[in-house]
Amino acid sequence: MNTDKKPITLLFNPFVYIAGGKALALGLLTILVASLLGSLSTTHFDGVLDTHTGRAAPLWFFLVEGVIAWLCLSLVLLILGRIISQTSFRSIDLLGTQALARWPTIFSALVCLPPAVRRFSNQLLEQIKRGGEFHINVADAAVFAVVLLAIIVFTCWMVALMYKSFSISCNVKGGKAIGTFIAGLLIAEILSLFCIWSLAKHALASSST
Amino acid sequence: MKRLPVSCPSCDGKLTVKQLLCDKCQTEVEGLYPLPPLAALTSEDQDFIIEFIKASGSLKEMATLLKVSYPTVRNRLDDIIGKLKRSESRDKK
Repeated sequence: MNTDKKPITLLFNPFVYIAGGKALALGLLTILVASLLGSLSTTHFDGVLDTHTGRAAPLWFFLVEGVIAWLCLSLVLLILGRIISQTSFRSIDLLGTQALARWPTIFSALVCLPPAVRRFSNQLLEQIKRGGEFHINVADAAVFAVVLLAIIVFTCWMVALMYKSFSISCNVKGGKAIGTFIAGLLIAEILSLFCIWSLAKHALASSST
Repeated sequence: MKRLPVSCPSCDGKLTVKQLLCDKCQTEVEGLYPLPPLAALTSEDQDFIIEFIKASGSLKEMATLLKVSYPTVRNRLDDIIGKLKRSESRDKK
């Protein structure tokens, strides 16, 4: 077995080397760091694949959003993995590697730190609400465009990691694994949006009263 | 070390041992001896099985030894089990 730690493997398939409890500890740390950075830049990871900026909220809310997004996908893939995998596997491997697969969210939260990103998104939202002619700050728009592109790249990277986590943890490969993963991703996305929406509706409404 | 051929280069059929030689006295034994299932595996798979037995069948120990994660080792073992099962079912046919 080739055990050379190739940089490309570490970037796109670190789960060849790390899984189980160690991956879970690092993954939970990832969610915590991404939530802390997210609270500084008001960047919400409010769904399995979602990244939105703008709405202020307490720190715990950012943390719970990250945990919900992680748990929804992990639990859906755990059920689907048990159905399609022909071998037995440990739940902690899937839970741990799925948490660690979210580590590109740290970079997404980091690139959202410049104030120009929030300024532009808030301006854009206000102008859409108000209607009429659009007045755009070109410098802010340029920063926003670059950040948007970076977030898309980080999200694609995260999805690739999530698939690798599913494939290695459940020992599933090929078309069946890809199809099941896409179905799981869609189910988990809807589930996470519903959970976070319900949480925001109750928790944030009660904290504002 | 020379690699033991396990399938026919002409038709991909399973090979059988026809002749054996004593290293000490050069006596030759002829007959038809089927290759044991483990011998039909690749040398990498055989090395893995030897290490696995030496590790008392502990996947965790194998993961530490190979510096890879637990599911990577378990998947490798599952792949080998799959190969042995397929080879067994081919033999039964």
